[in-house]
Amino acid sequence: MDDIATDILRRTIRKIPVKKLQDTLKSWEHISTSQLETLDFSQPKWVFLENLRSLCEENDLNVKHVTELEMIYHIRNPNQGTWHACQLLEAEDEALSVELTQFREQFKAHLMEVMRHVSVKIKKHEDQAIWIRIAWGDNFNKPNQLKPTYVVHYLQTPYVFVSKLSSKHKPYLYQALVLSTRHSSIKDAHLSGSSLIALRDLLMRQYQQVFPTNQSRPLQERNALPSHPNIGKEHAELAEKRLQMACEAFGDGTVPKLETAVYRLETKYKGNGNDTLIDRDEPFKGVVQFTSTNLLESLRHCVASGMADAPVTPLLSSITQKGRNYFVITEKGPGAASQMTGRKI
Amino acid sequence: MALLTPFNKMPELNTANILLVENEEQFQTKLADVIVNYEKQINVNVRLARKLPLPIENADTRPRIDLVVFIVNLIYERSLQAMESSIKHLDSGFFVGKVCFLVTGARCGSVSHERLLSVRKLAASLHCPMLCAEDQTTEGVRAAALRLLSIVKVSAGLVPTATALYLSALTRCTLPAELDQD
Repeated sequence: MDDIATDILRRTIRKIPVKKLQDTLKSWEHISTSQLETLDFSQPKWVFLENLRSLCEENDLNVKHVTELEMIYHIRNPNQGTWHACQLLEAEDEALSVELTQFREQFKAHLMEVMRHVSVKIKKHEDQAIWIRIAWGDNFNKPNQLKPTYVVHYLQTPYVFVSKLSSKHKPYLYQALVLSTRHSSIKDAHLSGSSLIALRDLLMRQYQQVFPTNQSRPLQERNALPSHPNIGKEHAELAEKRLQMACEAFGDGTVPKLETAVYRLETKYKGNGNDTLIDRDEPFKGVVQFTSTNLLESLRHCVASGMADAPVTPLLSSITQKGRNYFVITEKGPGAASQMTGRKI
Repeated sequence: MALLTPFNKMPELNTANILLVENEEQFQTKLADVIVNYEKQINVNVRLARKLPLPIENADTRPRIDLVVFIVNLIYERSLQAMESSIKHLDSGFFVGKVCFLVTGARCGSVSHERLLSVRKLAASLHCPMLCAEDQTTEGVRAAALRLLSIVKVSAGLVPTATALYLSALTRCTLPAELDQD
């Protein structure tokens, strides 16, 4: 056990709640059951840590093993930091047949090719997700194990989720991903959030969706009738229609938990008064940001309760339709190069 | 434009009908529950609406409306605007004691005083009473419901010796002269 290993061990153990310690250490599989029994989980963490460290030294564990523990912690607590979604494009014919061992070897090989010092750990999670932990170094320094990048990829899907990636390492990672998954390019999906599961559900459409129907009203029974026969709602039908439209746009039941939606405006100023702004040729730049603990739920409520106009504007509904929460809005028509990245309105 | 009229339907025996109009649809449901559960002597029907005009489809099933209550939440500017546009769809026959304004959120410190003043001015110009209510506590809701009940009983003609016009002459909102200047 060197200093770095001890440091990672300490950081990881500190983050794990006492209740979950035993379970986590058991799934780590580097400390035997009999050794685990000697540990006292009710001790204060720093005493416990000392005991654990001596056990680790007894078993001759090193950085590699400790980072595994860190990975286990991250896999069990995926909602940490900010995850960014990326989308692989133009799958080649073999893309569908890529399996774990092949991916593991290729990914490591491609990354090692361009960087001498990099440590990669790949682990498969139960729900088909491949978790990749990358500690970056450069040609002269050893990998920095304290600031790893986490990447989650679902095999045979075009989606990759990345957390804590610096822009310096982005091209290397993208290249390795594209080559090892047999795609020809990768792009930023403009979707980010702290909940990995939510991003996955949104992109893979694993939430309860509602589709437009003409005749039947599946939501009718859920729309609680007035509790008393003497209370009559004049706008019951309208309210129902609004709820239907809200659910069509943002999904029914529990919706994926997004925190923000950002709209970067690069359009001309439209409005009354203020002649200096109207006459300007260059776009009026502004950022509109919606924030909430559960953004889609909030938007759905806004529409259902009539606070927002009922046929949902494509600006809001494209959060779920296109699976992104960052938009650049530019003027229609030819011109502006920024249209490349954004969505035209 | 379909005007809501007060006298185009026959009244029913021992029945009072009240229409609550609120853009937010929060307070009106609470009020409605209290109103229908409290009154045992007569039959009180509550109609809930978001705005006027009311949908044409319901015109046949809708009873004769004895009292229209506009609920304005001063916290929202939109609430005030919605009320102002709804009023235009009301027949003038209602303004003889069959309209009442219910204001909530007046005590909230962040609310601009102008909004309350504009509701008061409107109520004064239409010769209607304006009530202030507390919508956060159950006692507040109950108190507001009871006041509405006593008004609707009069305007439905269920109280001998009192008429809606007589009551509104006594309870209508007035503005002090100095506020009326601007």
